[in-house]
Amino acid sequence: MLIEVDTLSVTYRSHGRDVRAVEDVSLTVDARESFGLVGESGSGKSTILRAICGLAPISSGAIRINGTALPTPRGRAFSRRVQMVFQDPYASLHPRHTVDRTLSEPLAIHGMSGTDQRIMQALTDVGLPTSFRFRYPHQLSGGQRQRVAIARALMLEPEILLLDEPTSALDASVQAETLNLLSRLRAERGLTFLMVSHDLAVIDHMCDRILVMQNGRAVEELSREALATAAMKTDYARSLFAASADRMLQT
Amino acid sequence: MTLLSVKNLAVTFDTEAGRVEAVRGVSFDLGRERLGIVGESGSGKTMTGRAVLRLIRPPGKITADEMLFDGVDLMRIPESQMRALRGPRIAMVMQDPKYSLNPVMRVGAQLMEGLRQRDRVSKSAARIKAIEALVAVQIRDPARVMDAYPHELSGGMGQRVMIAMMLIPNPDLLIADEPTSALDVTVQAEVLAILDDLVKTRGMGLIFISHDLRLVARFCDRVLVMYKGKIVEELAAKDLLAAKHPYTQGLLNCLPRIGGNREPLPGLDRNAAWAQ
Repeated sequence: MLIEVDTLSVTYRSHGRDVRAVEDVSLTVDARESFGLVGESGSGKSTILRAICGLAPISSGAIRINGTALPTPRGRAFSRRVQMVFQDPYASLHPRHTVDRTLSEPLAIHGMSGTDQRIMQALTDVGLPTSFRFRYPHQLSGGQRQRVAIARALMLEPEILLLDEPTSALDASVQAETLNLLSRLRAERGLTFLMVSHDLAVIDHMCDRILVMQNGRAVEELSREALATAAMKTDYARSLFAASADRMLQT
Repeated sequence: MTLLSVKNLAVTFDTEAGRVEAVRGVSFDLGRERLGIVGESGSGKTMTGRAVLRLIRPPGKITADEMLFDGVDLMRIPESQMRALRGPRIAMVMQDPKYSLNPVMRVGAQLMEGLRQRDRVSKSAARIKAIEALVAVQIRDPARVMDAYPHELSGGMGQRVMIAMMLIPNPDLLIADEPTSALDVTVQAEVLAILDDLVKTRGMGLIFISHDLRLVARFCDRVLVMYKGKIVEELAAKDLLAAKHPYTQGLLNCLPRIGGNREPLPGLDRNAAWAQ
């Protein structure tokens, strides 16, 4: 297995008391697999992604990639392998950096050559015209910004993409285009996805296995088949399924 | 019984780059029912909602043959009369509680402000009414929420506070602009149930603006589908799956389905001729 999260707990200190955002969650993701995390806000699903990147305080447990525990701080070798795409493309791109600067920064940090050609290729890969290269984020639509964010994550040619609600800030039609883009990139490059969403239909469309979370704990792991046939064992997973917007068309 | 009747509404912006027609020739009638307005961003759905309240800043201009609300033509009354309607008769719930609540004022003070200023209610009576409103939107701990600042509330709570605030004066018409798109599915279901209950028990009219066609189909009685400022299709929500217009079908088909095949999702066809 490629990613191994082993009885992970994340605890924040807030106003002098401990807030346990994630409690004893374990999961494994194989190479080239797409794994989904679902749950309400506050269920700890995004915190797991942040913990993998070293952005959340791990209080116990371990995260291993290819069997090796992750160093703290994560370091450059980690960024070459693992990259993250955030939820809100309005907040995750630097407002005063052009697309060119956003995309070239990781290359400069890692001393990679061929910047010019790599940027043009990255824009083409995510379906943006190369004329967008010197635009600022405010000159792009939400969907175009998310494409830039995906291009940025792919600049270092990572093998793992952590996707934190990559389409929840987008319209239905733009969501479809972005999901198609992610599926195509995964197939072309053999990427491994760990994806977070509150939309079960999106997770079902993108992922092979799903972990349902509630209040920082893992509730139930489901295969895609179990989800499609509503064969969940816990009441909570069932209620999430029943409240899913997708079910609304059938009733 | 028609509560609101809009005929040939247009919203235009004269900008340096030329004239932008955000809403073009929109007509609809609303009774004491739930009307959904659906479309992509930029389709003019929010502008339609704001135009009913005449909340469009210059250089934006509203024109309409008629916009009758309860016998009053909203296009012809002076601004002072319009102000008296906003809030007590027609209310609007905005999209994002983060930006629509005052960040430096306690929730309770914001809830009581209207009662104190407009209705001249005593402080203690206003507090009781505000707490009642919070209870009506199923906030479990209203006393704590009254003393909290907006940043101390979750998105779902903030959204419910805004709904509570709009419902205090008991309006006849509520315009809700994406009231649940920032919320989780389970909280979303709760907020919708609250709105639904209000339409049924208070006989309120509701305009529900959303980009989520599935949600609107389940929740509303009737749906208007907008594209580039025009209504391209109007239909009963239960008939949505039998929608005829290719744009409506496209909006439905581009959504992933649980248990669906994993083919690429169909992109949305956009035909300029539909907007003619």
